[in-house]
Amino acid sequence: MQNVYTVAQVNSYIRNMFTQDFMLQKVRIRGEVSNCKYHTSGHIYFTLKDEKSAISCVMFSSDRRGLPFRMTEGQQVVVSGSVDVYERDGKYQLYARQIELDGIGALYERYERLKAELAERGMFDEAYKRPIPRYIRVLGVVTAETGAAVRDIINVATRRNPYVQVILYPATVQGEAAAPSIINGIHALERLQTDTIIVGRGGGSIEDLWAFNEEAVAQAVFDCSVPVISAVGHETDVTITDFVADLRAPTPSAAAELAVCDFRQIEERMEEYEATMQHLCRRTIQRYRNRAAQYGMRLRYLSPLHILRTKKTQAVSLEEHLQAAMEGKLQEVRHRLALYAAQMKGLSPLDKLSQGYAYASDATGKTLSSVEQVAVGEQIQVYVKDGSLLAQVQEKRNG
Amino acid sequence: MAKKKEEKTEKEQVLSLEETFAQIEEVIGRLEAEDITLEQSFAEYNRGMALLAQCNETIDRVEKKVLKINEDGGLDEF
Repeated sequence: MQNVYTVAQVNSYIRNMFTQDFMLQKVRIRGEVSNCKYHTSGHIYFTLKDEKSAISCVMFSSDRRGLPFRMTEGQQVVVSGSVDVYERDGKYQLYARQIELDGIGALYERYERLKAELAERGMFDEAYKRPIPRYIRVLGVVTAETGAAVRDIINVATRRNPYVQVILYPATVQGEAAAPSIINGIHALERLQTDTIIVGRGGGSIEDLWAFNEEAVAQAVFDCSVPVISAVGHETDVTITDFVADLRAPTPSAAAELAVCDFRQIEERMEEYEATMQHLCRRTIQRYRNRAAQYGMRLRYLSPLHILRTKKTQAVSLEEHLQAAMEGKLQEVRHRLALYAAQMKGLSPLDKLSQGYAYASDATGKTLSSVEQVAVGEQIQVYVKDGSLLAQVQEKRNG
Repeated sequence: MAKKKEEKTEKEQVLSLEETFAQIEEVIGRLEAEDITLEQSFAEYNRGMALLAQCNETIDRVEKKVLKINEDGGLDEF
């Protein structure tokens, strides 16, 4: 029968093998963080895994200086430390002494750190933002000589105003040389006394756009005496330069639109000014003309000729009134006369004759009103409407 | 960004288009006043038209070629 060992002996043996392994004592492991627990003791327990495998990790509170960020689930990290055995549980684990964010994660980490730092320094403050001049003569552009960004900027700028001078600084916008190149461009265009500078490039990955997240570039944009419009990547890409710039444009085309005012608008505005001034001048002249006309009217009204004419008119009018009154009076009298005539006509005896009555008189013309006035055989006159009859009394009869 | 702001204003004796427009607005403001005299209105109008002429001059209506800074710091056509 072979030797029988205790559990502790085996674990101790294995641990010894680990500690004697040079590679395991100083190892760097890339993986994704999972099951991350910040223990109250200050130690951090987590698992590092990739598609195929996983390893338990611990970072003791004494090593916490090696972790410059808050570790969270799913982060890609590179952990430096040693692999050792925890004898009590017979378990090996990675003792982490330093943890860094890996690749893109590291860039984001740097980005966030610089953003926070510059914000802290007040470099994003609205107070430092210079207004973008509305009407410029010289536009500076710092971007790559080739590619869509420069074409878009030139197209939009010259379409809006062909009289604006565009000066391009052909910059390297990607890689190690990008940051110094962009900074040189800003300085060169500042010296050429451009009115506005557009700094930017087309879209790309965070690594492609990285130069615009460099502190030195941000500082150059901040220090630039000429207003700077940033136009980096697409609408969704926001770089440190965007925060520091006086104005952030979502795209290079938009930057050109913000920098260069539409020439038609300038022309329209000037025409409008001219029309307004002419209109206002005419209005003032008209006002004076009206006042002069008013004075003229008042003067004419007060002239002796006018007064004379007025009096004459008054006289004529009075005369007319007089005549009208007189006429009226006559008319009234005539009317009354006619009425009387009509009344009198009704009373006239002659009028009765016309209705078939007749009257008689004796030979002397005395009206007969009694049978006693005449004797039988005596002649009498009978008057009818249209003449008189000579008649002889034949007989007398009493009533 | 900010900093060397003052240097430029001294150098720029020529009014910018913006400043000229602001002055024209002022002229219009005075022309709009009801109590402006005829003489004043003529004077203001002449001033306004002179400012407009100045705008035209400022605009410098010559189509510009895009320039590129070369390695010696000189300018080439792009």
